[in-house]
Amino acid sequence: MSVAKEDLVMTHLVSLTYRDTLPPTLNRFVDGLFDGRIVGHRCPSCRRVYVPPRGYCPLCVVTTGPDDEVEVSDRGILTGFTVITPVAYYGQQATDPFVHASARLDGADTTLVGVDITGVPHDQLHMGLRVRAVWKPEEERTAEGITSRGWGGVTTFIDSFEATGEPDADPKDYQEHMF
Amino acid sequence: MPADIGPTDIAVVGFAQMPAVRRSIETEVQMLVPVITEAITMAGIDRREIGFTCSGSCDYLTGGPFAFVQNLEAAGAWPPIAESHVEMDGAWALYEAWVRLLHGDIDTALVFGSGKSSASEPLDLWPQQLDPYHLAPLGVDPASLAGLQAQAVLDTGRATERDLAEVVARSRRNALANPHAQLRGEVDVDALLAEPYVRQPLRRHDLGPISDGAAALVLARGERARQLCERPAWIRGIDHRTEPHLPGLRDLTTSASTALAARKAGYDGGPLDVAELHAPFSVQEVVLAQSLGLPEGTDVNPSGGALAANIVMAAGLIRIIEASARIMDGSASRALAHATNGQLLQHNLVCLLEGS
Repeated sequence: MSVAKEDLVMTHLVSLTYRDTLPPTLNRFVDGLFDGRIVGHRCPSCRRVYVPPRGYCPLCVVTTGPDDEVEVSDRGILTGFTVITPVAYYGQQATDPFVHASARLDGADTTLVGVDITGVPHDQLHMGLRVRAVWKPEEERTAEGITSRGWGGVTTFIDSFEATGEPDADPKDYQEHMF
Repeated sequence: MPADIGPTDIAVVGFAQMPAVRRSIETEVQMLVPVITEAITMAGIDRREIGFTCSGSCDYLTGGPFAFVQNLEAAGAWPPIAESHVEMDGAWALYEAWVRLLHGDIDTALVFGSGKSSASEPLDLWPQQLDPYHLAPLGVDPASLAGLQAQAVLDTGRATERDLAEVVARSRRNALANPHAQLRGEVDVDALLAEPYVRQPLRRHDLGPISDGAAALVLARGERARQLCERPAWIRGIDHRTEPHLPGLRDLTTSASTALAARKAGYDGGPLDVAELHAPFSVQEVVLAQSLGLPEGTDVNPSGGALAANIVMAAGLIRIIEASARIMDGSASRALAHATNGQLLQHNLVCLLEGS
């Protein structure tokens, strides 16, 4: 016996709301960015400098705080990059190839990830290139790109990085600090 | 080493927990760093000695994909470690670590659990995490489900609303002696009963609080446990059992999986000094105590339990920590710790601990 059936389709839209409170460590980092300064934490044990500051050193497993705060340069070394050719998936706004790069700032032991490099032809990008931050005008800076959840970058404060024209960095200055 | 302790006997030898708070201003990793360090220090080992690390957390809580990976930084990012993670309460991370230790080739394991419920709206979040297909579209949140469970229990006559209020009053009173509790104090049962319902027949105090926090413990095997700790909390048995997740398919007034897990863990119904039961709703403590058949004189939730500090993803592990603490300080010689996972006591773990 066959029974005529009609499919029942129910639309169920899901949204979840989160409140992401920045920890004091990141708040001070953000305060610095509004002033055009980049701060990190220096581990009191191994002396490595983390930018952004995390409030601890994952290698030594010790906590760090305001007393460990240091300012680093807004110049540094291009340590790695990808040239991304955008695919027109839903929500993709980019149409031209763009750069996703990591930069080790002078004075830091970690890299800023997800930064753009402008003013350099893509086929001339290379590790070791000396770069400097192109800051957004003060009135355009916002903290909305900063999260406490392990991702998010400084792109709401720094538009991109550009070449400084200095000679390339010595590989020993970035080979242990690529990501 | 006593004759009854062999190489497959595993014990808690160190632990730590942070005080539960309504809203931590730190990240989950920042909460974990001092807690893990303290547990390892108490165990008296170097973190490089740890043979296996297992953690329990839920990325839904903060909405941070792969947050559990970053949490590992609190255990030390270098040198590399052997580790695993469960998207469950840390009590199940402990279970995995216990199984790993039974292999016999490592001597110690680190277990931790953490959660930041403050970042989300838990009553909206949990239906999506627990059952986005059948129950979430109906808008059934955990508190509403617990209300149905409470009404079912009241209908059997095995408990009254006053009994539930007395569970809460005892929790708050016991929590006075617990520096890690979030809710504590002397409260009057009649005053509790005068409060309005939030999900009839449950009142706000029948629901565990929203908590942020973290906990960690160290396990050691056989001779190593003896070396590290004068009076380790030996795991005499541990087992977990699960039931269908749809509440309509189960008898909500009892917990068959808890009773079975207790039996498989070796609990024979004999005397217990302490029972730490993971009951995020007052009615669930009643259901658990009855399902386990706890003997008269058992000190139930001397810590205050999950009604006093409800760190989701750590509250079950903390039951094992609280029971272990009482074994290790000599105030108890036999204790039962319980942890639950899923909706309405769907999945339950029982751990039987003894001193020697």
